[in-house]
Amino acid sequence: MTVSRAFWKIALKNIGTIITYTAILVTFGTMNMSANNTSLQYEARKPAIVVFNEDENVGITKSFVGYLEKNTEIKPDYKDDDKLKDALFYEQVILVLEIPKGFHQDLTFGNEPEIKMRSSAGYQAELAKVVVKRYLTTATAYAKLHLSEEELAKRVDATLANETKVEIKSKVDSAKYGKATRYFSFANYTILACVITIICLIMISFNRTQIRKRNLVSSIEIGKMNRILLKNCCIYAVAVWLFYLALGFIVIGGEIMLSGYGLIYAINSLLFCACATTVAFLISQLVANQNAVNGLMNVVALGSSFLCGAFVPAEYLPDSVLAFAHVLPSFYYVDTNNRVMNLESFDFASLWPIILNMIILVGFTVAIVIVTNIISKKRQKIA
Amino acid sequence: MFWHNYKYALRTLLKSKSLVFWTLAFPFILAILFNLAFARLHDYDVFEPFNIAVVNNDEFEKNVAFKTAFNTLSDDDSDEQLFKTQFVDMDEAERLLDDDKIEGFVYIADAQPHVKIKTNGTNQTVLKSVTEQVSQTATMVEEIAKSEAGNSEQPTMQIYLNAMKIVSEAEPNIKEDSHVMNMVVIEFYTLIAMACMQGAMLSVELTNRCLPNLSNRGKRVAIAPTRKSTTLSSGLAAGYTMLLFSLCALILFMRLVLGVEFGGNIWLIVLLAAAGSLSAMMLGMLLSVALKTNEGAKNIVVVIVSMVGSLFAGMFGGMKIYFDNMLPFVNKISPVGLITDGYYSLYYYNDLGRYFVNLGSLLIISAIFFILATRSLRRSRYDSI
Repeated sequence: MTVSRAFWKIALKNIGTIITYTAILVTFGTMNMSANNTSLQYEARKPAIVVFNEDENVGITKSFVGYLEKNTEIKPDYKDDDKLKDALFYEQVILVLEIPKGFHQDLTFGNEPEIKMRSSAGYQAELAKVVVKRYLTTATAYAKLHLSEEELAKRVDATLANETKVEIKSKVDSAKYGKATRYFSFANYTILACVITIICLIMISFNRTQIRKRNLVSSIEIGKMNRILLKNCCIYAVAVWLFYLALGFIVIGGEIMLSGYGLIYAINSLLFCACATTVAFLISQLVANQNAVNGLMNVVALGSSFLCGAFVPAEYLPDSVLAFAHVLPSFYYVDTNNRVMNLESFDFASLWPIILNMIILVGFTVAIVIVTNIISKKRQKIA
Repeated sequence: MFWHNYKYALRTLLKSKSLVFWTLAFPFILAILFNLAFARLHDYDVFEPFNIAVVNNDEFEKNVAFKTAFNTLSDDDSDEQLFKTQFVDMDEAERLLDDDKIEGFVYIADAQPHVKIKTNGTNQTVLKSVTEQVSQTATMVEEIAKSEAGNSEQPTMQIYLNAMKIVSEAEPNIKEDSHVMNMVVIEFYTLIAMACMQGAMLSVELTNRCLPNLSNRGKRVAIAPTRKSTTLSSGLAAGYTMLLFSLCALILFMRLVLGVEFGGNIWLIVLLAAAGSLSAMMLGMLLSVALKTNEGAKNIVVVIVSMVGSLFAGMFGGMKIYFDNMLPFVNKISPVGLITDGYYSLYYYNDLGRYFVNLGSLLIISAIFFILATRSLRRSRYDSI
């Protein structure tokens, strides 16, 4: 009881820092998820384009614009060219198209009007170019038949209406759960940063040489004291987890959070929280300086987030990085989140890889507790 | 006295392990992590042929257009290879898709092409797009041949050959003006900005040394017969030297070892880093005198300011433009945002107007922070400590 009281007394003394830091980091994760670059994770969506149409909206021009409206997402004109350039760089706009004056007549009479096109980099831009070129190539080919403008537009429309039917085998809408996966994967950083910084901030007070020596000669066993401290650290970690979960309801929505998928995300993040707590407890035994803790926290939290696919989808990471990531608990946490996104059914065979990841996470947690106890005992002898 | 203090301030800074870590080691660690994490994102224009299957039923065998197109696009020796194709029966195609051995498969039923995929993705979109293009090109050849048949007495084969020639020669007049830019560079720019922000931490440490209410050293400095301005400015100059050295090394490391593109000339790059780190130093000085709390809490506030600035500037996989649209003023006043935007404009824009706006803003912000901090410092009087 005395140990717990001391723990929370120190926590209360730093309550301003704790609340500010926890709130900022958790909100930080939420905001970042909303701003995440979805172009890295392809979802079936039409490419965003901007069309500057200087021609009259008649005949083949009308047909062309109609085709673009159907196959792309036409964004309103950008008045400021710098903003348009920025949007192209950040792939908010994939392609900019300029239809010149007299386009409909020139195309009909086979004069091959010049279309100006600016695009961003990447797959989306290439696909958008294919969409535009397909129309123009079809129209250019039919124009060789010397058809009337009306007939030309009709022929082009009829040919391009011949679309390929696509069947999607998976029953799971991975785009729907993609947002939740991004949210919970980013928690790798948020949870680690929050838990390590705050727990170490409190634990450093217990580990000051004078206080540690006083505790060592007290009647309480070191193992028991460590257990009580760890229990209280866990209470803080659960509070962080609940806070993150509550924000998840707002950001992701109750439908997903209250489903079986939401339950797996929640259990997985709780297990990771427990593992992060033990990591924080271990760091607090090794380091006695707040600056050093901040350094270690950033190396651990950012390092594992980058290497295990919390910030950048795992499929974009080099194989060597992924192979190394297997030795970190974050890898199994992020991998579970990715697997939930594509989970088709809740039978044992489908859930087994997820259960295995969770068992490995628990294994990491137990191993870190054992290492912490060994280090703590060694330090007791040195003291 | 200035240079004497400067020399000792520099020596004490270099002996502080945590400050050396934050200033000299941490940005390098992050740069290496970024390079590992984003290595494959650099390869925008590298297209790798992917695995698909084609169901070789009777309809496919009879469809010359599809057979020719998929054979050509699956040819290992061709530069135009898009697919690594297995020609199999329907059951085998389904099995391959279930086992994630292929991205999708194509089959023809009732003279119409169908694409079957497991989930949506870029490769799946390419497969659908190519199948559609083959089908539409075949329709186009058919339509043109039909039109020509009415006006020509040539044999059918010749008419079809002519139609194919018309389609293959149809080349729209498109003028492309595209610069292939790498969005990933923004992550590295935010990293330089974050490294500049380490100046705030250095500055907090150096200013705290002169504050009598925080340490015994501060008390000694306060009653020493040296002007407080000399002690503080020499310390800050020492911190600034250390930070600039670290930033120059970081920029060279990124440019020469990691191959990060900056555009512009090296002096403009260094000038922006110098202005950015100056603003961070002044911010640290202001926070140190304005926050009446212990050193640890001050450092946490600096870390928060730096991280929130980095988030808004586009670090951690987020998008700067999203925050620019949501809260445009944040990146206009945040040193991290201004530094990142400065490097972005050097890389992406042809003129230097935007770069100099960012540079000027950083200098103005530094001046404001400096004035506020010195006003607060000059008013310090202690009845008892």
